[in-house]
This record gives sequence, structure tokens and C-alpha cells, in this order.
Amino acid sequence: MALGLKLIAAWHVLGVGVCLAGFALASRSGDDELPIAIRVLLRVFFTAAFVANIYAAVGVAKTWRRARTVSLVVDYLVFVVSVSAALHQFGFFTAIGDFGEGFNKAFVPFLVVAVGLLWVLIAQQLLARNPAATGPRALRAAGKVLAAVAGVWFVVVADPSGALSSIASQITQPLTLGTLAVALCAGAACRFMWARRVATAFGTTTDEQQVLTGLAFLSPNLIGFLFFFAGPLLFSLIVSFYEWKTTGTGRTFVGLDNYVRAFSFDLSNAPAANAGTEVLKPGYQVLMHADWFGQHWVLGARDVEFWTSMRNIVVFLLLAVPASVLPALGLSSILASRLPGMKVFRAIYFVPSVAGVIGVSIIWGQLFQSTVGWINYLVLRAGEILPFVDPPAEGHPWLSSNSTALLSMVVVFAWMNFGFNTVLYLAGHQSIPKELYEAADIDGANTWQVFRRITVPQLRNTTFYVLITTSILALQLFDIVWILSTPEPGGPDNATTTPVLALYEEAFQNNNQGYASALAWVLFLVIFGFTFFQFRQQRDEATAGGIS
Amino acid sequence: MSVRRRGPRSTIVRILTYVLLVGVAAVVIFPFVVALSTSMKRPDDIFAYPPSLVPEQPVTVPAASLGLEGDPLPVYEFADRAGQYALVETDVPLAEFRPLDDTTRTITLPADAGDKTGATVQVEIDGALEDKPVFVIEVDGSQIEAYRSRLTVGGLFQAVDNPGDTVLSLVNTPTPAREFGPRLENFSEVVTEKQLGRSLTNTLLVTLAVVGGQILTSILGGYAFARIRFTSRSALFLLYLGSVMIPFVVLIIPLFQLMLQLNWRDNLVALIVPFAFSAYGTFLMRQFFIGIPNEIEEAALIDGASRSRILWKVMVPLARPAIATLATFGFLYAWNSFFWPLVIINSGNPESKVLSLTLSTLGGRSSTDTNLVFAGAIIAMTPPILVFLFAQRYFVENSASSGMK
Amino acid sequence: MARVNFTNVSKVYDNGPRAVDDLTLEIDDGEFMVLVGPSGCGKSTALRMIAGLEEISTGTLTIGERVVNDVPPGDRDIAMVFQNYALYPHMTVRQNIGFALEVARVPKREIAERVEAAAAMLGLSEYLERLPKSLSGGQRQRVAMGRAIVRSPQVFLMDEPLSNLDAKLRVQMRSDIIQLQARLGTTMVYVTHDQVEAMTMGHRVAVMRKGVLQQVAPPQELYNRPANLFVAAFIGSPAMNLITADVTVDGDRVHLGFGHHHLAVPAVALERYPGLRTRGGSQVIAGIRPEHFAMEGDVEVPDDQMVTLTTLLAEAMGAEVHIHALLDVEPPSIEGLDPAADDADHLTGTGTKVIARVDGVHSVSMGEEVRLAVKMHLAHFFDPDTGAPLR
Repeated sequence: MALGLKLIAAWHVLGVGVCLAGFALASRSGDDELPIAIRVLLRVFFTAAFVANIYAAVGVAKTWRRARTVSLVVDYLVFVVSVSAALHQFGFFTAIGDFGEGFNKAFVPFLVVAVGLLWVLIAQQLLARNPAATGPRALRAAGKVLAAVAGVWFVVVADPSGALSSIASQITQPLTLGTLAVALCAGAACRFMWARRVATAFGTTTDEQQVLTGLAFLSPNLIGFLFFFAGPLLFSLIVSFYEWKTTGTGRTFVGLDNYVRAFSFDLSNAPAANAGTEVLKPGYQVLMHADWFGQHWVLGARDVEFWTSMRNIVVFLLLAVPASVLPALGLSSILASRLPGMKVFRAIYFVPSVAGVIGVSIIWGQLFQSTVGWINYLVLRAGEILPFVDPPAEGHPWLSSNSTALLSMVVVFAWMNFGFNTVLYLAGHQSIPKELYEAADIDGANTWQVFRRITVPQLRNTTFYVLITTSILALQLFDIVWILSTPEPGGPDNATTTPVLALYEEAFQNNNQGYASALAWVLFLVIFGFTFFQFRQQRDEATAGGIS
Repeated sequence: MSVRRRGPRSTIVRILTYVLLVGVAAVVIFPFVVALSTSMKRPDDIFAYPPSLVPEQPVTVPAASLGLEGDPLPVYEFADRAGQYALVETDVPLAEFRPLDDTTRTITLPADAGDKTGATVQVEIDGALEDKPVFVIEVDGSQIEAYRSRLTVGGLFQAVDNPGDTVLSLVNTPTPAREFGPRLENFSEVVTEKQLGRSLTNTLLVTLAVVGGQILTSILGGYAFARIRFTSRSALFLLYLGSVMIPFVVLIIPLFQLMLQLNWRDNLVALIVPFAFSAYGTFLMRQFFIGIPNEIEEAALIDGASRSRILWKVMVPLARPAIATLATFGFLYAWNSFFWPLVIINSGNPESKVLSLTLSTLGGRSSTDTNLVFAGAIIAMTPPILVFLFAQRYFVENSASSGMK
Repeated sequence: MARVNFTNVSKVYDNGPRAVDDLTLEIDDGEFMVLVGPSGCGKSTALRMIAGLEEISTGTLTIGERVVNDVPPGDRDIAMVFQNYALYPHMTVRQNIGFALEVARVPKREIAERVEAAAAMLGLSEYLERLPKSLSGGQRQRVAMGRAIVRSPQVFLMDEPLSNLDAKLRVQMRSDIIQLQARLGTTMVYVTHDQVEAMTMGHRVAVMRKGVLQQVAPPQELYNRPANLFVAAFIGSPAMNLITADVTVDGDRVHLGFGHHHLAVPAVALERYPGLRTRGGSQVIAGIRPEHFAMEGDVEVPDDQMVTLTTLLAEAMGAEVHIHALLDVEPPSIEGLDPAADDADHLTGTGTKVIARVDGVHSVSMGEEVRLAVKMHLAHFFDPDTGAPLR
């Protein structure tokens, strides 16, 4: 064991050297494209790693109690990073994507495997209920055999030889070999330091061991969280202070310019009602006209599309949220009663929210069709039956008319989401004490009075939650508009542009990723206003579950 | 649902209640019915007006049933005759006659019918007067005088149930007979010709990988948060909870940049790996693990089981309902996701497209082949709906705490 | 089999009280040790420290000769039975009992043999393929026992294993556990809040209060020579009558006065409690067990050891009658005792309730005046402030 400890100490000394080199590389000024913020971050990282390695090297040699923890953490991180890097160099990750082809070819064997596994699952369910039964055992065995045979078939048909040969070709590359060697060393170091007798030698307490175990269990999640969530979030904030193009060299620090541009307005007194850009400052476009105090005014903004989309989304929010919440409130009150068949209705109402927004939007696009669409046809038929409906002579172009395009999307949104909200409300109904209704019955209240005086007030918290979640969803409206708007996304005449759509176009069509990031943060702050309340509520619930 | 109220007591109110519920259900179901019927329609049927929910096909009869040989024969119906007629011969030379006593009426006969009387009659054609020879033709056994307005070609129709009853007519005079006939080829066509098949398997691959990854990481993370006391656990957990409220739009640009750096653009892995970690799933699993009595775990610890053994042999078998919930939510999320695939799978290469993406291209503004698009939509919507119906129990129990859609 | 030694062990929670305070306790090899005390006294914490489920803040704990402070539970060679049994719900009885062996990589054949042997010993043979949820409470309890004995551990730990059973089954299981422990000869540490269980089961009983060990002794000694007021009040059912009394010292003779009653303290008692002599003019707490009362004439005592009480309530128990009466003195307050123990005092108003246990041949009715003999030579005397016996 003494030799092992010496090796570990030497390993950390090596780590110290690597950190110094890394620090030097990160500080190198010159033609690199790294923004300052990232360079600072890298320096901080290498400094931290440097200190940790020095502590671990000295501590392991002298068997300080905490040195084991530090050494384990450092080695584990090195291990994870180097294994990921090696896999990346092998093309393992892209191979997952490329496996799509093999999976497509081997789809039938896959289905057979799935059937086999399903048998196993069913058998296990039956066994859990009655462990002594023999029938399920046979089914389980049969399922396993089927899955195994089909699995071989699957591999043969999917033909992974291409991926394997690419790995084989990579393994001779010196860089790959180096990464692999680092991974092996770090892995071996972790294994050695984790062992019980080493823990005893270092005098590790149960508490410390718990911390290490906890972090080990959390690590896959935490690393993913940092790499694909927290890191990008920070990066997004950095990018928003840059003029940033995906390609090319256009990466210049512009400070708050992106935000300033987003919030640039110009209000001008105009000579005529239809005055245009000529009365505004250069670079501004007309956002809206207004007649106040007998004078004509023109409001301009530098980013007209964004502010138009903000106006659209406010209108959308005001219409769509009540439209998907109020029916849910009413229907849930009926579904919460003990009438037969309520579960069936509950299931039916829920279906639109799970069916997939693209499919659903395509269907509604056809329903809204102006010439042969069902909606116009039904309006026409309604006009024949109901005297007060006055159908237009020819079909109304719901989606290509400025006045009804957004309204149509409200309909689709409400249709998709009221069922989900109904189920949320049903959960809320469960927490209303039954005695309240019995008391009301005794007091002789009628159905409406009960609904108005008991159900609605008692569901206040649920209503709050439902309103918030629906609003957050509505604020991020994108998919429905992408499919339904015509003749181009956000059309007609930007009548259905949404902030997310504006952001998408700015980032991925106009390639202004810096400015788009700034828009994203503006949008985030708006959504944050809504989410904050929800977050507090959720945190309270979680704390009730015992966070300490 | 333990706390349930009695429904309304009076029968009328009950009936009205059900009428309302059925009405709403109809509004919910109707678009799906339209989609299902359109997905089985023939290309010539999709723009029919008035719209119909029944997919129809032209009626045909086998030639042999009329004592003929060859392909099945199309069947037509005449406005002025009862019964159905099969078109047995086309390109038959025809003559159209107009009786002199009623020149608005037309009589269709074989081209060589009628005898010239030698007389002529003056008729107005396109505003000009023209002299036409007069024919004697035989109609229903009586001889009438008429002039020949034109020579054309038409079809010979034969009654389906009476071989002796034949009619000569222009082919466009009768209406083709239609009958219920779903065109199931739409589904195979959209799968093969529109490359939806590849998208389908891609989506399945992505979904399975995402669900598997989420379950794995959420179980590990949820267990750590629920049961292992380590420093800064509460702070980390709050951070996780907070992350749920960050809208995805904020992440989309940096994630896109990250994918560029990793060279994962246009690769399915970009749809899998970043989504194999779920703060929501971690939260869900944590809440469930907290609910499992501490003593069970302590008993296992005393029995000498390691933490990982406890997790996989004791906790996970008990957490099946939570895992099922997580799997269902993960499945729906991954299967239906659209925005991120739109951003990152953007080269137009059909090999790496997923269903939602293919469908949006197919069914977009310039879409044709509505029947095929709808067949695709049905294919895309069926798995999530089935998953929902089978996993309903978990949904209804947990949607309240999820806040995700 | 092994000794378990606590040496100056404490458990301090973050910003909380000391759950266990400087506990020093030696449990001998093969001994049946019961930890008893009111809820929150630290007995369970002490047990969980032996199990390794609770971190030891200071002090050392040894099992056998090994210091186990930082040894994980699985490596301590102990077995534990939990109050709610903590059976694995998804495993059959066989899997439940065999889990520890499976973890220890015992060969499958041997697992089967040992599980079946344990099951046979506990009468569980026919339930081996059942799931816990299809078993009765008593059967579950036995499965939990089986899980413990199948490992042949050095120490058994039991955390109130009988409190979820009904009264009859509890008595049955009590004797089963005593016999089992006697047969296996394994060291046993048994936690309970029920002093009857403690008295009947343990070779020795350790009484705890607020994390502090009060007394460790065989049950009879605990009963007859309580180390302090708390132990005196806690052990015994019905509980010892504790009466605040004024002491009058008159040469050799010592008298107690409470309310309008007077009792002489005989020389035998003064030999056992010589400290009483120095307390003339001040108050002490006299402890008289209910069975140390008797009906006048049943025992021979001098007249100055008789009291006349008004019956508040008479409970005929068959072999004996419990006579409840109220004395017009402030009841002593005993820190750390369950408030539930002195139940329903609000019904009787202020005053000290006493219970006298007399022979069942007597019939006593409510409100009747009874003249009782008090076996004062068996009485105990404590300092009212410190609770220490006046020895």
C-alpha cells in the first residue's frame, strides 16, 4: 500500500505540472478566439486544479485525512473527462447518431426483442403478485430466449462493423492512446484510493465517506447538469455581450449594445396619420401609429419584429390563457363528481396534450383551410340552421387573414392544453374537504352557488399554479405558429410572429447569435416574472417533503 | 380519487351534464377523426367539397361479371336512370342530335345512326346562323326529325345487373359511383417514399436513449438527494429546482454552439446526450425515495449491502411506479420535441431527421399530398397516445406535481 | 458473540441537544441488556450507534475487541430487528431472510439450508414463498427475527420489536425471544419504552433519561434499590407513590408529615436511608410502592405507621384491589418523565394521587374511608431537589 500511495502522490505531482501548462496556455495572448470571460474562467479552473493537486500530492504522501477526499475528487474528474474525450475521439458519440441507419435496417429484429422483453416484464409483474406461480416463470424464460435470439439477429442485421472499424482506426492515433492512458491511470488511482483499507489508513470518517458516496451517485447527473445546462447558461450570458456570428471572425465585445438595441424606441410627432420611417431617427422603423391629444404620433423601434412579436404574445396570452383555463375549471368540477364514465372523459380530454404539437397543428391547418376546410363548412351549415349566424359568401381565410390568424392559434393552443389543465384541477379537487360540500348541501345551496362559493375559492392555489404554467407555456409559443402561419413563419404581415420565433430567425437565419442571446435573456426575464412564483410554490412543496 | 362528490341529483341536470361532456369530447375527437379519414383518402378525394369524413374510392366491377375480359371496369350512375352502369367500351364514335321540335334536348346515338332526309334546317351556333342537314332518327321506337349538332367520342355503358341494358353517352355525363374505400397504401407510401420510415426509427432510437438516460441519471441523482447526507446537498437541490424554471430558449444558442464544437450538429446524438439529464426526473425520484421508509434501507445496510446494491436491489424495485411515470413523461417529451431538432438537424439530410421535423417539412406551407401528410401525422401521433392510454394512472397521479408538458 | 462497550460516548446533533450524553456502559458477552426509558431518552440512538446507523460524536464504541466508530454497519457483524420490521416488500420471506447471506456471497446451497433452518426454528417453513404483505403482524415479526438469526451475528439489536403487536401476541413473543436468546447465547441489546418488558426480559436493565444513563442493574435490584427518584418513579406498575413530606427528627425517632397524615419511620428504614436523619425540618420525597400498603389487620404494623384515606376510586382486579386516594400535598415534579404517566390528574384536581394495592378479599367502595397499614420499613427516601436517595 505504501508503494500505491507513493505512486498516487507522484501522479498528483504530474497533475501539478499539467495545470501549470494549462494555465500558461489559457493566458497566452495572441490570435486565439477565446473571449476574455472564458479565458478568466479557464485560469480560475487551472488555479483550482493546481491547488488541489498540490494538496493531494503532499497530503497523500503524509496521509492527511482530507487528502484522500481531494485526491479522489481530482482523480474522478480526470477520469470522467479523459474517458469522455477518448470516447469522443473514437467517434463513439457520433456513432450513436450514425447507428440510426443500422437501427432502421434492424427494426424488425428490434421489435422482436421488444416483444421478448415485454413478456419478461409481464411475467415479472405476475410473479410479484404471486411468487410461486409456474406459468409466469415459463413466460419469463421464453421471453428471455426470444429477446436473446432476436438480439443476435439485431446485431447481425444492424451491422456495427463500420463503427467498430472506425474505433479500430482511431486507436492507433497517439492522442487517443494518450487520453486512454490518462483515463486508465486516473481510473486505477480512484479504485485504489476508494478501497476500504486505504480509507482506514487515512482515518476517513463515516461522514466523509457519505459525502464521497453521495457525490459519486450524483456525479453523472451533476456533470450533465454542469456541461449541458449551467455552462451553456453562463455562456449564453457572455454571448449576449458580443456581436457573435456562428461562422467567420465577427466576435467583438459590444458591452450592453445588444440590450440597448433591443430597447431602442423613438416616439415622434408626425405631420400626417400615415407618416413612415422618415420622421424617425435613422435605423428605426415604425412600430405603431397613434392619435393622442389630436396629434399624430409614430412610435418606432430599432427591432420592430421583436416588439411586434411582444405585442402579439401579450394578445395571445390574454386570450389563450383564459381559453385554456376556464373550461378546465368548469369541466374538472363535473369530472370530480361521482357520476359514471368520468374517467373516460378525463382520458379523452387529455389526449390532445400528448398527441404531439406538430401533428396536431397540421390537422388544424387543414380544418382552417379556407375553401374545403371543415370549419368554414360547419359555419356554413350552422348558418342554414341557426338564423343568427351569418356565414360569409365565400370561405373565410382564417390563417391568411391578419385579423384571425392569431385567433386561430389561440383556438389550437386552448384545444391542446385545456385537458392537461383539467387534470391539474382534478388533483386540486382532491384536497377540498368533502365536508364542505356536505355542509353546503345541508344549507341548501344549489349547484351554481356551491361552485361559486366553495369550489372556486378552494381551488385558488391550483388556479394560481395552472395560470402560471399555462402562461409560461404561452409565452414560449413557437411550434403552432411555425406550422400554421402563412405565407411565411409569423405571417401574414408579422401578425403571428412570436418572441421565440423572432429569436430563432435572428439566431439561425440572420446569424446574429449575440443579439439573439440578448433577446433570449429579455424573454427569460419576462418568463422569470411568472416562474418565480411557481418556483416558490414548488420549493415549498419540496421542502414539505423534507429537504433538511 | 378519495374525495368525490355526488353528481347533480336531478335527472335533467344529469342529462345536460352528459350532453356538455359529450359535446366537449366531440370537439376534442373531431380533428383526430378528420385526420384519420383524410389519412386514408385517395389523392383525388382530398379536395372534395363538401368535405366528407368517409374515405371513398370509385366503384369497379370485374370484367368477367359482364362476360368480358380485361381490367376491372369503372362504374357510373346516371342522373336520369336508376341502377349502376359499367363503362365497357371507350372511344366509341358518337353523334349528338337535337330534335327539331325541341332543340335544347340532346340525344346521343352511334355516329352512323340516322338517315339524311336531304332537307336542311337553319340553326344558330355562336351567334351565327348555319344550315344543318336534317336526319331522321329512331328514339324509343318512334321516328323523329333532328339535326346533328356534333360528332364526338364517348363510352358504351352497360347496366351492372342487366347485360341487355346498354347506354351510349359522353363519359363525363354520368357521375362515377363511389363507395367506402380506405386507401391504406397511404401509410406505406409515406413511410417509403417520403422517408418517414427512417424518421420513425430515428425518433424511436432517440426516445429510447433519452428515456433510458433520464431514468439512469435520475435514479442515481434522486437517490443521492433523498438518502445520502452530504455537504451542500440542500443548496445543490435548490439549484436543481431552480433550473426547472429556466426556459429552453435561453439555452438554445449556447447549446447550438456547443454542438458545433463537438461536431454533433446534424447527428442524432445531439438530440440524445444533452437530454439524458433531467432535473424534473431527479426531483420526481427524490420525492419517491424519500417516501420509502428509512428502516428498509437501514436493514439493508446492516445486512451488509453496499449503497449501490441497496439502490438497485431494494430501492429501484420499490420505485417502479415513479420510474414508470418518469419514463412516460420522458417518452412524450422526447417523441414530440420539435424546436431543438429544428435548430440542430438543419442540413436537410433526411438520414438524421426525426418525425416531428419530417412531418413539419411535409405538412408545411407548400405541402401537397395531404393524404400522405395525414398518414404521417397519424403514424407520429399514435405511439404517444397509446403510451398515454396505458400509463394514464401515473399521469393523473403525477401531472400535478410536474409542471412540465 | 462479543462484548459491547460504550466508553464516554456522546451524540450531539447540529444545533440540537445531546441525544446521548457521556454514556459508559459495558454489555457482557451473551448478556440480554435492555435499554429502557421514556421517549426521547436516547435509548434508540444508543442502539443505532451500535448498529452504525448513527454517527458517534465523541467517545469510543467497541464490539468484541474492535473499535467500530467508523466501521460501516455491514462490517460490524450485528443484526437488528426494527420496530416496523423493515422487511423488503418486494422479496419473498425466503429472499428476505437470505438477503444478508446473498450479500455476503454465501453459496446458494448453504443459503437455502440456513434459511430453512431459521424458518423452521421460527415456524415459518410454510410461508417461505410468500410476500410480506400477505403475512400477519406476528408472522412479519418472526420474519424480521429470522433475518437476524440466520446470520449468526455477534450481537442482536432490537428496537421495540414488539410494540406493533397486540397485547396477547406481545406476551407470547416476549417469552419466545427470551428462550431464543437463551438458546443462541448471543449478546442482545433490546430497546423498549415499556418497563414491564424491560423487567421481564433483561438480565440487566439500563434506565436512561435525556441521554443520560441513570442506572444499570438486574431488574430486581432496579426495583428494590432505585438509584434515584427518576428510576424509582419509572420502574414499577402501578408506579411508586411519591409523596412530598415534612421530616421531624426527635432524637432517634423520625416522623413524616404530609397533609394531616403522620407516619413514623422505623429504624430499619433509617438504616437503609441514614441521610434522612439530617433532614429534620425540611422536606423529602417518600416513595412507597402500592403493594407496601395493606388493609388494617392484614399485616402487623405499629399504630404510627397507619393512615386513613378516603377512597377516590377502587379498582377490583380480582387478586387485589387498587385503592386510589388523593393527598392534600403538592405532587413532586420529576424531570424527564412522560407527562402521560401521571394521567388524568386534572380530573382529580391538585394534590398527590396515591395508589394502594390491597388484598382482593376486601371490598371497597368509592368514598369509603379506609385505614391502611404502611410497610414503612420498605419505603424509599429522596432529596426533592437532586432526586438522589438519602442513603
